[in-house]
Amino acid sequence: MESVLVAQALNALFAVAVLALVALGLAVVFGLLGVLNLAHGEVVMIGAYCAYVAQTNGWPFITALPLAIAVCGVLGFVVERWLVSPLYNRPFDTLVLTWGLSLLIRKCAETMFGLGYKNITEPVSGTLDVLGATYPRYRLLLIAVSVGVLVVLVLWYARSRTGTRIKAMVDNPELARALGIRVSRFASATFVAGTCLAGLAGVLIAPLVPVQPFMGLDHILMSFFVLVVGGLGSVAGLLTGAAVIGGTNSVVSAISDSTGGYFCVLVLAILFLWQRPSGIHARR
Amino acid sequence: MRAASVAIVALLLLPLVAGEFWAYQMSLLYVYAIAALGVGLCWGRAGFLPLGQGLFFGLSAYLSGLALIEFDQSFWLLLLVPLAAVASGALALLIGMLVFRRQGESGPYFSMITLALALLAGQVANNWESVTGGFNGLKGIPGLPGLDSFVAAYYVAAVALVLSCVAVFWLYRAPLGVLWAALAHNERRVVLFGFDTNRLKAVAFGVSGLLAGLGGALYAPQQGLVTPQLCGFVLSADLVIWAAVGGRGRLFGPVLGALLIGALTSALRDSFRFWEITIAIVFIAIVLAYPRGLIGMLAPFELWRGKRPQRAAVLGAPARVQSGEVARLQFEEVDVKVGEVQILDRLSLAIDRPGIFCVIGPNGAGKTSTFNVLTGELRSQAGRVRFDGLAIDHLQTHRIVALGIGRKLQIPSVFAHLSIADNLAIALWSGRTKPADLLQPRLRRWSSPLLQALQERYPFLADAERTASELAHGERQILELALALLSEPRLLLLDEPCAGLSPQETAQVIDVIRWASERRGATIVVIEHDMSLVRELADHVFVLHNGSLLAQGSVADIQANDSVKAIYVGSEK
Repeated sequence: MESVLVAQALNALFAVAVLALVALGLAVVFGLLGVLNLAHGEVVMIGAYCAYVAQTNGWPFITALPLAIAVCGVLGFVVERWLVSPLYNRPFDTLVLTWGLSLLIRKCAETMFGLGYKNITEPVSGTLDVLGATYPRYRLLLIAVSVGVLVVLVLWYARSRTGTRIKAMVDNPELARALGIRVSRFASATFVAGTCLAGLAGVLIAPLVPVQPFMGLDHILMSFFVLVVGGLGSVAGLLTGAAVIGGTNSVVSAISDSTGGYFCVLVLAILFLWQRPSGIHARR
Repeated sequence: MRAASVAIVALLLLPLVAGEFWAYQMSLLYVYAIAALGVGLCWGRAGFLPLGQGLFFGLSAYLSGLALIEFDQSFWLLLLVPLAAVASGALALLIGMLVFRRQGESGPYFSMITLALALLAGQVANNWESVTGGFNGLKGIPGLPGLDSFVAAYYVAAVALVLSCVAVFWLYRAPLGVLWAALAHNERRVVLFGFDTNRLKAVAFGVSGLLAGLGGALYAPQQGLVTPQLCGFVLSADLVIWAAVGGRGRLFGPVLGALLIGALTSALRDSFRFWEITIAIVFIAIVLAYPRGLIGMLAPFELWRGKRPQRAAVLGAPARVQSGEVARLQFEEVDVKVGEVQILDRLSLAIDRPGIFCVIGPNGAGKTSTFNVLTGELRSQAGRVRFDGLAIDHLQTHRIVALGIGRKLQIPSVFAHLSIADNLAIALWSGRTKPADLLQPRLRRWSSPLLQALQERYPFLADAERTASELAHGERQILELALALLSEPRLLLLDEPCAGLSPQETAQVIDVIRWASERRGATIVVIEHDMSLVRELADHVFVLHNGSLLAQGSVADIQANDSVKAIYVGSEK
């Protein structure tokens, strides 16, 4: 009995960790730059296809990580430089533009890899005993990686000079520019960091989900709802949002089916829109 | 008109000239074009982007498909098409009311929720096998009774498309269409004219759902097959692309986009494997660089259509129905705190007679915030605001304004992309229209004695077709002031009406304010920094300092007041 409870708790923890990992890139870009990148899900998809490319070439799984960072980093740089940066402070146009971009990336993936599902084998197989429950090693690893990435990022953002400068940029770009901070370069770097994180998340979740060109849609929607519920601009918000959305989704899905879970998440997001439009952890 | 007649003749002749195959192809595209029309309406007019129109198309297609299978060949099924469309429209209206209810949010939230709803609908259609036939969909749907040949189906779709275009054309010409265009660019200003913009947007979304529903209801009998893909992402995305590429801002843009891209897609999809990538790139290019779309490229050829007809004779606007009493305004110990900052600190003041009241005070004294609290845009934490004795501090802005309050903002915020005539018309509709009136295009010809008097003083206001963005700054201030006056409020709030004006223009504005006050006997409250203007205008002065009332009285009283001198000049105390 106890082992079932432990397994359920691990499942919930896993769902929240994965959701937080996937939403992290979007949170960075939306929270710091105010750009809702609708192509975020497609960048996650690119990351997953990087894992697939590594696998078909017979490279070890770990090589997919630098591959994804390279591909998504270059993509993020190009997109920020030529498409997004002319549209800062025009959120509606960025929305439409990144939506078009998501379409383009999806079509490219369709042309290159076809519509079929790809399976990626887990790089770490087998199970581990945790307090009497047997749990897949890869999932445990993923939880650890999510926590690690979040902790490193938070510490770096709170302590480093760059983090302080980014805060200055977010707070008042004009003043930051006047103080000699290269705002456009930091904006570019922030956007690239967001896409790299998305690509990284894509690689890591690839062995656990069917990889196909449309997989990005679910990820962008879930990530967005995480931010709606949790609020922008803090890790606490990200985690709360991931816990609420991930928790609701997995509990309701377990009771009824995935459609029910999806429906509840949607209703929850609309309720938050009414009652707490800036989320549980509002920045101000 | 000529272009429309040519298009209609072409529509009628097409099956005879091009043959049945093209008639079949085109009838599908007509059905899509009807739905794309709705996306153009939301996005190009009302300024919000629905990403999940497939939901309404698919819902209505399933409803009509199920009914056609169930009650094969009964003639009352012809009624079904409009009914299924209405069901989709009602659902869209409901969703619009729910999502727009509080925030007036037109950005990402709305788009994301519509997208999520469409994906949800796709899942439901996929999983609910007993009703929808699951992944393979509903098969073997019979045609509409008596209309099941290809050519008959073609004409049904063509007629539906023409009727939809006529209906949307009507809406765009009606006050409703003007208000959509206005709120897309400056929603706050429309609210300050007393319109419930959230409802206006919900109606726009409802109409778009109705159009998508009409398309879906015709799709089922025409294609004989309804699959979950219709509800989901792909069709929703195509509709947005067609509307954008064709030109979302114009009536025929989305239609052109759907017909052209649709036809090219069916011709090229199999032979040219990069076709869909090309379309995605074209879409991005259009959004980034050429929002007018393909139909915008046709603009140079539109000269042959002849000049726009001039507006016909003006119609007198009815008098605004409101109590003739003098406005009574009371602030009772109003507290406003935003974060750590105390904006208003137990502010109390009262106005109970007509005349010109000036509000002065140093920067940060809470002058504009006082106006914002009054119009319900800033919420107070404590205290009461009463208008005519009625507590208004918890009403929505548009309801407060409808009680007879008008406001001119600090920065001129006329509807820059609308004509002068439409700007003035919106002000005239304020407080004088019932919801049903917004469907009557003749209301655009309204005028009032006050407007005529203003047009005599300022001839540029009669230059009806000129776009407001072409006006000089001074003219914009005058137009803005005219807009605030035209709704004939009993209490008029003017926030720095002379900011940024030359001395000559300032004199003109002062003149209009005095004239309006004497002519209408209204109560006017003016925020002003310039003491020389205050001396000229004010019957009574309120001095605000640190969010509370420091002093009040006539100009002479204020100038003699020591504490007022102290905050302006500084003192030893």
